[in-house]
Amino acid sequence: MIYLDYHAAAPVIPEALAAMDVARQEAWANPSSVHRAGRAAKRTLERAREQVAQALGAAPGDVILTGGGTEAVNLFLGSGPVRHVVTTEIEHPAVARSVDRLEASGVSVTRLPLPGGRAPSASTLEDSLRGPETWVAVQWINHETGTIVPVHDYAQVTRARGACLFVDATQAFGKLPFSVEELGADALALASHKMGGPAGAGALWVRRGIEVAPILAGGGQERGRRPGTPDVVALAGFGAAAEVLPRRLEALPRIAMLRDRLEVALRDLGAVVNGSEGERIGTALNVSVPGARGEVLVAALDLEGVCASSGAACSSGLSEPSPVLRAMYPEEPWRASSALRLSLGPELDEAAIDAAIAILERVIRRASTALT
Amino acid sequence: MSGGVDSSVAAALLHEQGYELVGVTLHLWDAEGEQKVGRCCAPEDRDDARRVCDHLGIPHYVLDEREAFREHVVTPFAREYLEGRTPAPCVHCNRTVKLQKLVALADSFGATHVATGHYARLVREAGDLRLLRGRDREKDQSYFLFGVSRSILERLLFPLGELPNKEATRAEGRRLGVPNADKGDSQELCFVPDGDIGGFLSRAGHAPRPGRIEDETGAVVGEHSGIERFTVGQRKGLGLGGGPVRYVLRIVPDENRVVVGGEDGLFTRRLRAADASWFGSLPDAPFEASIRIRHRHEPAPARIVPHESGFEAEFLEPQRAVTPGQAAVLYRGDEVVGGGFIV
Repeated sequence: MIYLDYHAAAPVIPEALAAMDVARQEAWANPSSVHRAGRAAKRTLERAREQVAQALGAAPGDVILTGGGTEAVNLFLGSGPVRHVVTTEIEHPAVARSVDRLEASGVSVTRLPLPGGRAPSASTLEDSLRGPETWVAVQWINHETGTIVPVHDYAQVTRARGACLFVDATQAFGKLPFSVEELGADALALASHKMGGPAGAGALWVRRGIEVAPILAGGGQERGRRPGTPDVVALAGFGAAAEVLPRRLEALPRIAMLRDRLEVALRDLGAVVNGSEGERIGTALNVSVPGARGEVLVAALDLEGVCASSGAACSSGLSEPSPVLRAMYPEEPWRASSALRLSLGPELDEAAIDAAIAILERVIRRASTALT
Repeated sequence: MSGGVDSSVAAALLHEQGYELVGVTLHLWDAEGEQKVGRCCAPEDRDDARRVCDHLGIPHYVLDEREAFREHVVTPFAREYLEGRTPAPCVHCNRTVKLQKLVALADSFGATHVATGHYARLVREAGDLRLLRGRDREKDQSYFLFGVSRSILERLLFPLGELPNKEATRAEGRRLGVPNADKGDSQELCFVPDGDIGGFLSRAGHAPRPGRIEDETGAVVGEHSGIERFTVGQRKGLGLGGGPVRYVLRIVPDENRVVVGGEDGLFTRRLRAADASWFGSLPDAPFEASIRIRHRHEPAPARIVPHESGFEAEFLEPQRAVTPGQAAVLYRGDEVVGGGFIV
């Protein structure tokens, strides 16, 4: 198996697996219990929090542990009060649907376009702000194309104008080095399964002084902001992965070279790159293959042992053509239905990429000669 | 793999025979509202297909062909009704969407064949390909396959064709541990699972046009609320109150009229068909064969005169309710020799 779908989920790293094994044995009790079994669980939970906070350069008390990235997004965007939201047309569904809900409840929304993957400049963003009670909700690195938006510049602008900046950092954490202070945002969502931890864990970092109201009704865990007994085992894995983030970040230049190798090969096969007009993270390659259907390519690649993805897939097992690509290329709907997303990570090497290229050649040639 | 018993058992049989398999579900239609359960293209059906594939240990993919299905099956279906005909959408689906798309996928995957759960038989002998009825006369689906091109049929396998009946299919399913071997069948169209064609057409935005119902003398005997609610041979739902039993004899779409009469008016020896396809080369002389004028019909002997794009036929015995829009499929014994659409 050649796994090229890191943006969907990254393989769980040995350190995380080891931490989870220990947690399974020792930290299974309820961290809210007073007794020693509960305290052991609590210790593990708080260790995870510290590890995540450390990786962010944040205070542990400002990190709310959640069951994943979507939950973290909803936890922030579900709180008010807000009158105006500025976002983009290419957000992950967690942000896009949360913003839709706000709009349905009367909040006005500006959605900035990214034609061809060109991110809005800080001054474009500034023009759309309306002062306090404005939120900017943007994804730092796009899950489909790897497009990077200049969140540092946005932070300066939002700060100057008294608006609040929420960054969906689920794809950025583990791919770009940063600390919360130098970034200057007001809230960040993180997801464990994008950076070597297990799925089912995530975090919302919130700048001190910003109130977050719980979206679940229940007990007082996470200082009342996230009721419910946490999955300490998964969070232990998340924490362990966060602890070795520097090593993961160091791999990025090597990964970018592997991505570039893939990109050259795919261009030679006639594919066009999506998002090429803007800055992209070195882990993602989103191409469209003229005459082919993305979902067919993904299935054909799977039969040959290559794991990749195409448009956004929803849970019922159907694929809808990518809304991100439809937004980036409104005049070229074929791109969305012919898209192939390959995303890379530290476990890959040249041999794997060369093997993938050989398979891609075979599959794409077959797809172009098949009857349609 | 639709998630139904037939395609599931077909897959299990081939798996037992050692074929390397890939399970594919085509997503053709989105069921609306309460229709979401129980027939093709509902999420439950995709899940059933996936469970069968998991049971067999084979990959499963769902591919979206809704656009092609709407364009080639659903839209023409509505148009046929509005033009006073009774369409045979399953024939069109097999001919222009389902099997074509599956073969194209097979090419993309590097697969040699496409297998389905159709009750029909393909016999390959001495470089020749023949399409035969399935052994189960009741379930035989060769009728729906007459128009499929030779190049597609060559790639197909029908594992269920030799099974004697549906109960045997289920028994094989149970023997092979297929998860849904006892799932119920639906008799309705996959995109109109409640059978309410009128309702379907209204939802599709067609406003019904009321008109006259007349008898064979031209006398007005009632009103109808849209010709699309009628089919030749229909007795119920005419809204004519008491009086003699009457049947729809024909629909005159240009005049928005439905003509009714006694049962003998339903019988005719004549049939004209257009848009014909032939197994093998176009016959150059009249010949004898049996014709099936709808799926549930025992093929009736006739003399067929082929021409340019269709044929005329004269039955030995008068046939009941020859209906424009239906397929007329020609058989010699069990073998399909061709067919066309009744004009």
